[in-house]
Amino acid sequence: MSLVVRNILIALCITAAIGASVIYAVNYLNSLRVQDLTSIQEKLSVDTLSLETQISLLESAPCSVIGSGTDLTSELDDLGDRLSYTENQLGSSDPQVILLKQQYSLLEIRDYLVTQEFAKSCNTKQVTVLYFYSNNDCASCDKAGYALSYLHDTYPNVRVYSFDYDLDLGAQKTLISIEKIADTPPAFVIAGKTWYGFTDLATLEKEFPKGSLIASTTAATSTKK
Amino acid sequence: MWYNARLMSSELFAYLFIFLGIFFESFMLVTFLSWPARTARDRSVSTKTPSVALIIPCYNEEATAKLSIESALRTEYPKDKFELILVDDGSTDRTRDIMEEFRGHPQVKIIFQKNGGKHTALNAGIAASNAEIVGCLDADTILEPDAVHRTLVCFDKPNVAAAMSAISIRKPRGFLQRMQSAEYTMAIFFRHALCSINAIFVTPGPFSLYRRSTLEKVGGFVYGQQTEDMEMALRLQRAGYEIDNIPGAHVTTHAMDTLPKLMRQRMRWSSGFFRNVLFDYSDLLSFKHGPLGFLILPFGLIAPLAILTVSAFTVYRVGSAVAHAYLLRQGVPMTWHMASLSSLHMWFYAPVSIFGLLGIVVGVLSITMMIIGKRLSNAPTNIFFDAPCYLLLYGFVAPVWYLFATADVITGTRRGWR
Repeated sequence: MSLVVRNILIALCITAAIGASVIYAVNYLNSLRVQDLTSIQEKLSVDTLSLETQISLLESAPCSVIGSGTDLTSELDDLGDRLSYTENQLGSSDPQVILLKQQYSLLEIRDYLVTQEFAKSCNTKQVTVLYFYSNNDCASCDKAGYALSYLHDTYPNVRVYSFDYDLDLGAQKTLISIEKIADTPPAFVIAGKTWYGFTDLATLEKEFPKGSLIASTTAATSTKK
Repeated sequence: MWYNARLMSSELFAYLFIFLGIFFESFMLVTFLSWPARTARDRSVSTKTPSVALIIPCYNEEATAKLSIESALRTEYPKDKFELILVDDGSTDRTRDIMEEFRGHPQVKIIFQKNGGKHTALNAGIAASNAEIVGCLDADTILEPDAVHRTLVCFDKPNVAAAMSAISIRKPRGFLQRMQSAEYTMAIFFRHALCSINAIFVTPGPFSLYRRSTLEKVGGFVYGQQTEDMEMALRLQRAGYEIDNIPGAHVTTHAMDTLPKLMRQRMRWSSGFFRNVLFDYSDLLSFKHGPLGFLILPFGLIAPLAILTVSAFTVYRVGSAVAHAYLLRQGVPMTWHMASLSSLHMWFYAPVSIFGLLGIVVGVLSITMMIIGKRLSNAPTNIFFDAPCYLLLYGFVAPVWYLFATADVITGTRRGWR
């Protein structure tokens, strides 16, 4: 065998090895992401139980102890982020993703109701936003979701609950009926007022009640009071 | 449907070409590690001292000619066996005056001729000398004092007709010159590996030496589709001679400083390659001519299509992602975007594609070849600055000159030298 032929064969083997390694690495990463789905599922189950327990405990607690509501907010955010990344990666039609979204939406609705209850009885300055998006034919939904994430991070008193309008979930359908949300996402229910469409962040901010967007330091002070 | 089918077929080609790219780079690295290349780079300086004539053809080279001539005169070689032949090819600037400054130097001959092209200037220089080894030095190239002597070791093998050294870019400035610097450093590696299997298809114009007796047999330089150096190398290959390289010998040359100049130069090189290989030397495309015929020249021919496809696909993918990200983030403060980068989830779920990872492999292999090229030649280049410019720019500019060069060949367009 000539030197050149030998080198060609070695180069072919190296190319095949590199190709196989790259494919393996991508598949391995995807398998890790699927494993993460299982952990999300477990977390959702625990959080559902935790929320029920918190509600029972807080029913007898004074408003000064309750503060701004349940302690689930940060966990919901974290789960929401992970679910959103997973959905992007595996696709919104993946059965496991749909199941998780159903569980997550149920938890969100439960937390929303509890937060509303606390806001009424304890007069907290919490602003809740119900956001309905769709993965089908909704060009501005991504932008709207991103802008809401920014508002939530910047103004801790803003609680955002995101729902996939097309999700087949009884409780969510009831919520849509109660809030009279039309099939034209993106749709927002900001402090009880329904609003459709998204153009930019500045316009969205104007839809919030005056003085309701309180930056973190101010929010912290008002909570202490 | 039509659009999706087009996209899928271009994706398929992009994957095919990126695999071919990895195969080619792997082949070069394996060849570099094989014994012929190892033996070739371990050679010391030859004990023989044949007579050498170095020809510097000049056409409007007033900016660089003096530096080049002075560097050649600093060559460490027996003075009675080394001469410099300056050929002015009908310059219209001060090149003649600069040459006149060297009149009377015992090692210098000066020839003035009407403008006839670089190949005629080289032939005039060869005719004016009886040296056993004749060489070409571009008037924008600086010769290291030991470059001639070190390169001569290649001629110890009787079948070697031409030899060359490492070439790097002199003091690169700006993104464009740094990109070329990285490319030249990588070419040092390629040239060395290709010469070890006698598969080189160009004896570079900046500095190459030729055995005079061989040139007399195969004939002098010709127009060669505006690439007389490539034509000569292909002619020597067709005649069954070897072309050798010693990467330890080193010259520096000038890089194009503007995009239009670079485009013009590369369009000339690329169209010259296509025309020479497809029209004048198509017989070399066969197994009879070894790896040059069945591997290197065919790869050279498909390289433009490969670079075009991979670049277009990458630009489409990256461009779509950037446009989407831009539209998504409009109106939201930049500080918040930056803070969101610290999210572990974002990195964990960052889109990782097979194509992207293969692209990274190609980039890593390219940087490896640059590092080897630098170490082989001890070239005064800075890969830390050059490599990023190459990786970021080459994929955008190379497809343009390949596209124009291909169009020139198809339409029969001939562009000027500069």
